Amino acid sequence: MRRRWQRAAGVLAVAAALLAGARAGEEDDLQRQIETQRSGASDLERLDDIKATTDEIALLRSWLDEAWALRSKHEYDQVREVLDRCLAQAELVRQKIAAAKLRAQAQRREVALRELRAKIARTQKSLEDTVIKKKALEGSAQ
Amino acid sequence: VRAAHSFPIALAVAAGMTWGCATPPRPRELDAYDVLKRSANVQEAAKRSPDLVATSDKLGTKATEEWQSNDLEESRRDALMAQIKLKTALALLEQEQLKKKIDAMNSDQAKAEEEFGLASKELAHETESLTLLQKYLEARQAAEVEKQRLSQQMTSEQQKAQAEQLRLSQQLETEKKIAAAQLALRTAETVDAAKYAKAEYSAASDMLAKAHAELKENDYPGAQASAEVARQSADKAAELSKPQYEQAEQTSQNKARDEALSRDASGISGVSVRIERRGDLQRLVLAVPDLFSKKSTGITAGHDAVLDAVAGLVNKYPSYPVQVIGHTDNKGKSGELVALSAARAQSVFSALVSRGVEARRLLVSGLGGDEPITDNRSTAGRAKNNRVEIVFLYH
Repeated sequence: MRRRWQRAAGVLAVAAALLAGARAGEEDDLQRQIETQRSGASDLERLDDIKATTDEIALLRSWLDEAWALRSKHEYDQVREVLDRCLAQAELVRQKIAAAKLRAQAQRREVALRELRAKIARTQKSLEDTVIKKKALEGSAQ
Repeated sequence: VRAAHSFPIALAVAAGMTWGCATPPRPRELDAYDVLKRSANVQEAAKRSPDLVATSDKLGTKATEEWQSNDLEESRRDALMAQIKLKTALALLEQEQLKKKIDAMNSDQAKAEEEFGLASKELAHETESLTLLQKYLEARQAAEVEKQRLSQQMTSEQQKAQAEQLRLSQQLETEKKIAAAQLALRTAETVDAAKYAKAEYSAASDMLAKAHAELKENDYPGAQASAEVARQSADKAAELSKPQYEQAEQTSQNKARDEALSRDASGISGVSVRIERRGDLQRLVLAVPDLFSKKSTGITAGHDAVLDAVAGLVNKYPSYPVQVIGHTDNKGKSGELVALSAARAQSVFSALVSRGVEARRLLVSGLGGDEPITDNRSTAGRAKNNRVEIVFLYH
């Protein structure tokens, strides 16, 4: 009887040890993910040189902090949910940065085009003035 | 009392039950999602990123259901995720739209640059044309100014040339007049005007000197007037002097010729020569005696030399009119003597003509014994009076 109790206790101890090891591995994995995403957030901040997604990145960081806090509470399922959201947010930030850069590029193009059109207008005005002046000179030349 | 005490408890229980069964307040994440969902570009975003929009829709629906199931935390998380997905889809749509816009703007830019290039090229062309035209006009204006300047210069030169020409013309005219006056003065000098028209000649000389002085001073009108006066004075002097000069010259010439005639006549042997004046005429008389015997009219032999010499003398001086006059002594009737003397003169006339003397130069006459040269009472005297005289007449 005593031996049966001892065997059962040993099985429970092994199971507990295995469970504790699995939990520790998951925690480490989530920590790596969080750190990876934090590093990604820093990369995004550098990428966003025109500061178009400051709020989104701040939100991302706050969610990563939240994930970290949940991890500390061993709320791993919630951590994964938050990390999924952070991944999506990071993708959103990337696309927004890309869009903002394209917008800036479009604005530069617009400005350049506007300036070019202004130059064309000035050139055409100069051309008209020149033609008028030339005709007047031609008139006086005859 | 028991009922009065149980009523508030029942009301609280009922209220608690009502509150527990009612729908909780809608999470603001879900409201925000709904607002986002109503934005204009969602349809376009669904076409561009159907998976994202579908996931978003699914999450949005789930979030609504979770809210309605009072599972607020889950609803909030899914609404957030739905927002993120939809925002990502919208960002991708915006990117695509912006890319298209950029492409369009690039195309516009290229066209605009082409347009600008053409306009610039045209402007450059027109500007060059204008510049050339301006240069041409400036050059033309400069040429016009230069032309005017040259024209003015030329006018000035022409005026100078005209003035010089006028001056030269006046000088030439003056010199001509002075030359004419000099010629007139020289002409006057040829007739000894200084001697025969002293006053006029002096006046002419003075005026000519004055004209020279005025010419030197370029006083052409004055010089011309002086020269003209000098010329007139010289002409007058010449006019006045000419007759006197000619007369003097003639006299001088005649005198010389007469002297030569006299000398030549004196050189003929067998004749006597005398010069006498009758009225205003001089007469050189060559008396040839002893040509005839007694009352004969034929020339006796031996007188050829005398006759040849006389004929030679007559021919040597062809300008003198010559008379051949026969004379006799006074022995006989007057009429007979005249006839005899005339016949004898005729014989001499013939002898001279036969020796080459022109007949028309000779005037033949017989005077008989009316003009003896010596006394007829002696034979010698009568022989002298029987003679033929060759008379040269001159002033």
